[in-house]
Amino acid sequence: MKQKLTSSLQIILLLALTAVSLTGQSYPGKPKIIRCRSLEKETFSCWWKPGSDGGLPTNYTLFYSRDSEEEIYECPDYRTSGPNSCYFDTNHTTPWTTYNITVMATNEIGSNSSDPQYVDVTSIVQPDAPVNLSLETKTSANTMYLWAKWSPPPLADARANSHVYHYELRLKPGEKEEWETISVGVQTQYKVIRLQAGAKYVVQVRCMLDLGEWSEWSSERRIQIPNGESPPGKPTIIKCRSPEKETFTCWWKPGSDGGHPTNYTLLYSKEGEEQVYECPDYRTAGPNSCYFDKKHTSFWTIYNITVRATNEMGSNFSDPHYVDVTYIVQPDPPVNVTLELKKPMNRKPYLVLTWSPPPLADVRSGWLTLEYELRLKPEEGEEWETIFVGQQTQYKMFSLNPGKKYIVQIHCKPDHHGSWSEWSSEKYIQIPTDFRVKDMVVWIIVGVLSSLICLIMSWTMVLKGYRMIAFILPPVPGPKIKGIDTHLLETGKSEELLSALGCHGFPPTSDCEELLIEYLEVEDSEDQHLMPSHDSGHPSKNTKMISKETDSDSGRGSCDSPSLLSEKCRECRTLSSTLQTQDVRDVQESTGGKTSWETQCIASEQKILLLNNETTKSSTWPAAQLPNTQPPMFAYHSTVDAHKITLNTANVNIAPVLVGNEEKRQSQYPITETVHNNMEKQREMENLHSKTDQTTAQVKQNRPNDKSPFLNPKLMDYVEVHKVRQDEQAVLLKHKENSGKTEKYTVPGTSKEYTKVSTVVDHNIIVLMPDSCIQHTSVSQEPAMETSPNLQQGRAEKNMSYCLTAPSECKRETSGSEYMDPSSFMPSFK
Amino acid sequence: CHTSGMLTPNGKEYAQKIPREELTHLILKLLQAWKEPLSHFNQHHQELPDDSLSKAKQISSMVHELKTGVEKSMGIISNSLNGMTPSEAAGLSISNEANMMSDSDFIHCFRRDSNKVQSYLKILKCRIMPENSC
Repeated sequence: MKQKLTSSLQIILLLALTAVSLTGQSYPGKPKIIRCRSLEKETFSCWWKPGSDGGLPTNYTLFYSRDSEEEIYECPDYRTSGPNSCYFDTNHTTPWTTYNITVMATNEIGSNSSDPQYVDVTSIVQPDAPVNLSLETKTSANTMYLWAKWSPPPLADARANSHVYHYELRLKPGEKEEWETISVGVQTQYKVIRLQAGAKYVVQVRCMLDLGEWSEWSSERRIQIPNGESPPGKPTIIKCRSPEKETFTCWWKPGSDGGHPTNYTLLYSKEGEEQVYECPDYRTAGPNSCYFDKKHTSFWTIYNITVRATNEMGSNFSDPHYVDVTYIVQPDPPVNVTLELKKPMNRKPYLVLTWSPPPLADVRSGWLTLEYELRLKPEEGEEWETIFVGQQTQYKMFSLNPGKKYIVQIHCKPDHHGSWSEWSSEKYIQIPTDFRVKDMVVWIIVGVLSSLICLIMSWTMVLKGYRMIAFILPPVPGPKIKGIDTHLLETGKSEELLSALGCHGFPPTSDCEELLIEYLEVEDSEDQHLMPSHDSGHPSKNTKMISKETDSDSGRGSCDSPSLLSEKCRECRTLSSTLQTQDVRDVQESTGGKTSWETQCIASEQKILLLNNETTKSSTWPAAQLPNTQPPMFAYHSTVDAHKITLNTANVNIAPVLVGNEEKRQSQYPITETVHNNMEKQREMENLHSKTDQTTAQVKQNRPNDKSPFLNPKLMDYVEVHKVRQDEQAVLLKHKENSGKTEKYTVPGTSKEYTKVSTVVDHNIIVLMPDSCIQHTSVSQEPAMETSPNLQQGRAEKNMSYCLTAPSECKRETSGSEYMDPSSFMPSFK
Repeated sequence: CHTSGMLTPNGKEYAQKIPREELTHLILKLLQAWKEPLSHFNQHHQELPDDSLSKAKQISSMVHELKTGVEKSMGIISNSLNGMTPSEAAGLSISNEANMMSDSDFIHCFRRDSNKVQSYLKILKCRIMPENSC
């Protein structure tokens, strides 16, 4: 609501004003009297400010009355004091009276009058500011002061101004804010004393009549105070130096000069003398210096030096400075710094840096000896590396990086007390980089070649990966026995198998008997490592030998029938016995007429270890086993021999020995051979019959006479061939019989033996593939194992494998049931 | 300094002007003059810390060795001189005075005199054997 009211009011006013303005006519606005002022108490003026003029020409009239009189007068003079003013001259001015002044503005329409103003002349007196202010500095009696002069304010009428004004002066240093006001009195000049030397001052004056107000401040005046004059400040001696230990110079620093030109003099005296001298030369070394030439320089004496500063005001001395020239030597930097690149043969190039001592230093006479030090850094580096060189004037630099830019500087110092010179100007070294290029080329070539090689290798790997793997790690071939019908093997019928093998009268006939106890030790040559570290090579030694152990199952297709074998088992014939048919027989007889044929996989060539030197033979056995006819023959012989030997000596590791029977047999027959120490060799025999279908081949172990455990009796054990698998692996079941022998044969994991028949050698020798051969491990454990290891080791033929039959006691009996005793096949074995 | 009474060249030119024999003689005189004061110093300053004491002894022995060395190397020269005895005598009388110096003066004087000896010897060396780093 209010808003609406106000707005409506405004609208009305606006309308009125516009009406007015449109019409443009109204009565004038109210004037206002601004002020009245009297300059000197005898005249005064009043000024007013007009109000709005109402659009029409307006006249202003000033009316006044005095005191309480009623008469109203009009302004006598509108002009003198300017527009909108009224000037009351002396006639119209009455002091000590109060004027009542109003101004009326009149135009055609109407008039308007101002508020009345009561004015008493005496109270409105204010003079003008003084004029012509001048400043001056003067010095008297060692002090500086400021003279200020001015003139009183001018008045309108030309009459000499007889008024007496009081003046006031103020000043301040240019930078400060606060004024210092000084009452001057009636003088039109003033002397300011307390001045800051060297400061700029600003000065103003004003005046006042005896009554009334102060005038305005006059305009500013500025002045610069010069430095105060005083005796000079104390100079100080900076340093004294001798560049070559023959002359020296001293420098000093002046103190304040006290505003006057100052003279400096240097005075010195020598140690032990009273006389004071003055500096001989002020010029040579520059301003504020003194140069002592050779004549005036004495060494090993202390100089007492002072500097005196003098000016008009006085003088001042510096502190004394004691100096012995010997100790103040500071040479100039070395000169003629040169670099030379030397390229000796067969060595890396190096830099030789040479320089000369500074020209003034007299090094030749030995009066001054200099030591040098150089510093260098790579151009972009931050830290300098400082190298002390000593008294020589050259330096060889070897260890700089090629291709980089170095900065090098040298300085020197006397070898005794003294100080280091300035560093010589910078010298740049650029190391040539030529040989570096060669390095890069070499590296590039190497990189390219190696990447090529990598590419080729990866390519070949990709393409022929398998082949390569095969090349490196050839697979173990399966047994390939000619003439064996795998099916037959699979069927597992022993009779058929045997018949297939062509062993008609399997159980060996007389032949067999004769040969008899040939134990084929099958050793797994490849598992030599499994063998204990029996030294396989004791060819000379009877005991160990060869065949390491017959770990591999001995493929023994012994001519013996299983029954026979079983019988033999008891015997534990030594190989020797087996070797010889006769022996066998003997053995048999000795053992009760058992001979066991054992087939062995012959693996190790070394197997045949004859007690005596037959080793050779025995060792050849394995070789023989290789598809060669030899072995069998050999076997026979060897067996014979072996037998003999065994008879003689104790342990022999007998390589697989061919059982004579075997000879007859097809190679398919597993041949058992054992070269055996007749004594108590115990041998493990392994039986391998991969050939024989899957019949279980009995592996019989010839048991040598148990009695005497020989060193390496090889135990021929009967090993049961568990079955022959299709892939011509004969699974041998190894029995480990604890015959109570001292030797222990462990049959680690020999529960099953797998052997593959690798080849059938000639007559009735089946060479079995070495099996994983747990067996030989077992065998190896025997001390008698040597044989087996030997056997194994000797085995070159990879194909040869023997499974070592776990030595077992002649457990033929025990295992009997599982054995397939070849002898059983032979109805009339024995 | 107790050796201040000795007339020694005060500058390079003077030192170069002196004939070699005389310079050698001077050197030996100086060294001789310090022999006794040094030993006296060592005797009477046992309260110094060990390293200072050993240093002082070292200096004494060095001075002695230097004197011997100079005598030997200049043997050809000094043979002609029979001034050894007088110098020794002079040294003795001087050294009495030296014993009364304060420590700081003692060290100051010794430093100066050793510097003198060094400079003279160097001049001598370069005069006799100019090719060796002179």
